[in-house]
Amino acid sequence: MRIGITKFPGTNNEQDVLRALSCLDVKGELIYPWDVKKLENFDALVLAGGFSYGDYLRPGGIAAQSPIAEALMDFEKSGKYIIGICNGFQILCETKILPGVLTTNLSTKFICKWVNIKTENIQSPLLQNLEQIIKIPIAHYEGRYYHDSTGIKKILTDNTVAFRYCNEHGEITPESNPNGSLENIAGIANTRGNVLGMMPHPERANFDYLGSDTGKQIFANLIEEIKC
Amino acid sequence: MVTYSGKAKDVKVLNDKEVQISFRDSISAFDGIKKEELPDKGITSCLTSVKLFEILDGYGFATHYISKIDETQMLCKKVTILPVEVVCRNISAGSFCRRYGYEEGIRFEKPLIEFFVKDDEHHDPLITESVAVQMKLVTENEAILMEAITRAVNEVLIKIFDLISLQLVDFKLEFGKTTAGQLLLADEISADTMRLWEKKTGEKKDKDRYRQDLGDVIVHYKDILARLNAIQKIPKYMPLSTVQVIIRLRKSVLDPAGEVIFRSLSRKGFNSVESTRLGKSAEIVFNAVPSSELQSEIEEISAKILSNPLIEDFEFKIQHHSEKNEKEYVEEE
Repeated sequence: MRIGITKFPGTNNEQDVLRALSCLDVKGELIYPWDVKKLENFDALVLAGGFSYGDYLRPGGIAAQSPIAEALMDFEKSGKYIIGICNGFQILCETKILPGVLTTNLSTKFICKWVNIKTENIQSPLLQNLEQIIKIPIAHYEGRYYHDSTGIKKILTDNTVAFRYCNEHGEITPESNPNGSLENIAGIANTRGNVLGMMPHPERANFDYLGSDTGKQIFANLIEEIKC
Repeated sequence: MVTYSGKAKDVKVLNDKEVQISFRDSISAFDGIKKEELPDKGITSCLTSVKLFEILDGYGFATHYISKIDETQMLCKKVTILPVEVVCRNISAGSFCRRYGYEEGIRFEKPLIEFFVKDDEHHDPLITESVAVQMKLVTENEAILMEAITRAVNEVLIKIFDLISLQLVDFKLEFGKTTAGQLLLADEISADTMRLWEKKTGEKKDKDRYRQDLGDVIVHYKDILARLNAIQKIPKYMPLSTVQVIIRLRKSVLDPAGEVIFRSLSRKGFNSVESTRLGKSAEIVFNAVPSSELQSEIEEISAKILSNPLIEDFEFKIQHHSEKNEKEYVEEE
């Protein structure tokens, strides 16, 4: 089993993802923006967070123009799994593999804190056996999910919202929305269910002693699916 | 086949795409009040135009010129001529001096661009860009592009004429549009459409000889052509274009950063500030002359990469990039 973790200049979460995978006895491998040929050898990709290319232009905007991003579309079409975390989610939106865009938090502040998200009941193997309410950290300046009204309608009709910001009781409230995301959206999947993008960091919710290990299940699901 | 006759040329439409332009020996001035037939005028103007169009083609300018048919005829792309022509002035002369009462020979720090309406009845009056756009003679985009192209042509022609000891005082350009909407340099470019002075003596070599009855019109026209033909090597150099793209958040999208700035301005007592929006701007330099193609390329770059159409829109202005070349002139002098 081979899982690639993208490392763009400015990506800084790849070690956390490597560690999360190694806890599940899988050795992840870093893949660089020009390693297009290597891509076919991988069973899945994790687009790790950070600030690819300094987030110049727009978060994920330059990374979306890189050789590996251009090849991402075929990777996705082949049915292989892609998880985009934080900047990885932004890249997935910029490449239009996932709909919408992530833009400046309403507070205009960089938000780094623990939040609660609610797992939605959607068709993606990556979301199986997840706890209903997940305690998980976010760390972003541009995490406000936005789409035009037709786009939002389509996402809701397609039922592809994976996670919503909620309070500790699992209620989707304006107060529990940290950044002003439309519909409290914290993560979405594609209709096929093989692509998941999320602003919160499951790789940082991997050990009880760090505050939560509820993120671990997402990586466990990924590994399970590749084994199948 | 349809033929249109102008003051000095006939244009024969060959097919949907091509026309044949024939140069006659006619010369005229002051809206045709003064006119004459001068032997060899047609040949000289045609060959000068051919030469200059070929030079401009070589630098990447989009022109209507296809090929030389014979000594008085060119094969050209069929275009709709825009009703506005552009004049570029490096030194004051002609109608500029008459209009404003300035003396001839004032060197302009930055070349002047003037638009004129092609309208014999009103004696081809000067028109401001905003009126030309308002009256739908040209679009705003076309006006911007016409100015940028004219400035770039000026830069190239100054260099060419400098090589043969002539000073480019001013010139006129006409533009045409293909059915596909491509803007092309059209008509002719010759001693009839520009002012050239002998560099050392200031002697006039152009149509002013005819206007002012200085005599030997064709002798000097022929001399210009001979000097152009004697140029061994067209200087290698790349005219540049520069574009500023402004990227704005769409009105329908919340702009938290703009809001913060607004609150801060209000707190500082700038009470007349009604709202603020924050955008981005990108400046791109192209190693290409301004053209319709370049405009499309910039549009693609702006729509696909510089902006995210979901939340942003953009606008841009294409300009001839002259900074570098101004420095070169200083060195040459």
